[in-house]
Amino acid sequence: MPESRPGVSARRPTAFETGRRALALARYQFRLKYRHTLLGVAWNVLEPALFLGVLTFVFAVVNDMKVAEYAVFLFCTLVPWRYFEGTVTGCTESVVGGEWLLRRMPVSPFVFPLARWLLTSLEFAFAYPVALVAIALLKPGLGLPLLVVPLGLLVWSAAALGLGMLCATAYVFLRDVRTLVQISLMLAFFSSPILVRADLFAPGSAQATLFKWHPVSYFAALFQKPFHYGTFPSALDWTVAGSIAAVLLLAGWQALDAQRGRVYYGL
Amino acid sequence: MATVLEAREVTVRFDPQLMLTRTIRERIALGWRSRVAPFVALDACSLAIGEGEVVGLVGRNGAGKSTLLRVLAGVIVPQAGTVVCDPDRRLVPLLELGIGFHAELTGRENCLLSGALFGLQAREIEERMDAIVAFAELEKFIDQPVKTYSSGMYARLAFSLATELSPDILLLDEVLGVGDQFFVRKSMARMQRLIRSGITVVVVSHNLDYLVAQCNRLVWLDGGRIRMEGDPASVAGAYRDSG
Repeated sequence: MPESRPGVSARRPTAFETGRRALALARYQFRLKYRHTLLGVAWNVLEPALFLGVLTFVFAVVNDMKVAEYAVFLFCTLVPWRYFEGTVTGCTESVVGGEWLLRRMPVSPFVFPLARWLLTSLEFAFAYPVALVAIALLKPGLGLPLLVVPLGLLVWSAAALGLGMLCATAYVFLRDVRTLVQISLMLAFFSSPILVRADLFAPGSAQATLFKWHPVSYFAALFQKPFHYGTFPSALDWTVAGSIAAVLLLAGWQALDAQRGRVYYGL
Repeated sequence: MATVLEAREVTVRFDPQLMLTRTIRERIALGWRSRVAPFVALDACSLAIGEGEVVGLVGRNGAGKSTLLRVLAGVIVPQAGTVVCDPDRRLVPLLELGIGFHAELTGRENCLLSGALFGLQAREIEERMDAIVAFAELEKFIDQPVKTYSSGMYARLAFSLATELSPDILLLDEVLGVGDQFFVRKSMARMQRLIRSGITVVVVSHNLDYLVAQCNRLVWLDGGRIRMEGDPASVAGAYRDSG
């Protein structure tokens, strides 16, 4: 019979069991989220459509910009960013939010960030086609580089899950983490080239240097290059973004795994 | 008799610094004061449960009964010692009068979710749903969120579900006295049927008469240690005399 060791439960579920439980939990979280809404699941498509519509209006009418060009630049990265942000903030509170189960049932704490990641990924699967349609309408004739977009999404998704697990672990023991995560994400967003094109700044300027060293720049390039510039992301873009995602995923998994025996005490 | 569940030299300490400080401000504030000693809920406690055994845990409040049950369930991972269990046997804990229900989900959804978390297919739970609902007497309320349930309705559904999940090992924490006298009688009858079918049961209760009548063995916990274990009547007698 399997034996526990200090800090590690004897009933350690397999990855398959954890995945199945996360899927079951995500299903009910999805139902709950849209239960009392008038339009139900349709909000998944309407919300990003309205969001992009408002942004287009603001930048085209209020700021008097070349709407089509900027909208393509903005939409292609903003929608994945919102997925990333939603996943990280959702995962952060997920383990503590799972107290109702963790105090009564031998459930792996991995179930909760995984369920949140599945939920946000499903919502993203509804939202991203809306952005793609908008981009296709604004910029006809997008080329071959679009083929790498799913791979870019995979990199973002892995990074989001990894950072989410890392933050979820920290949040169990320190509730300030939620605010710190929100502020850090806001800072990362506004200081990155998601809103502003990096090539507008002179090489060597403070902004250009900031964008060069900003980790989000490499993630953003995975979408901005195929959609906006019509080119493939560079090897450097893939290497930096892929490495960060892998490190985050590994660190998040390691952190939660190392603390799983202490989670009960932090709830 | 083969051992199906065992705690070996298990120690559980609840550290107030870990459990009571959640923010940077609280951490700093507690750091300025003298360190509060951890509360030792279980102190090198060992207990082996044999197949088909019905073991009762008694003791005063804070003796470590519920903590030991949580350790056996795998809900709490002890700081020292080991827990040995058979992963092929379905262990169903019924702790804090519940089985892990989400307040916003309906009774039916909670049953389906719990079933999935215990490894059952949705079809398997759906097949048993009528029996679960009928036993809990919640026909009119099963499609309402459990947050609208009274504590008795909540506990009835949890007990009905737990006993319908075909458990091999059932861990019960003070659930047998819940509900009205009719439900208590019904739940006790179901427990007797389950015990006769050969499942293993570990039960925490303050109802000594019930424990003496139903258990093969009684364990008296005191200050996180096992003070006495063995024949239920003898242990119950010694426990009563200690008060």
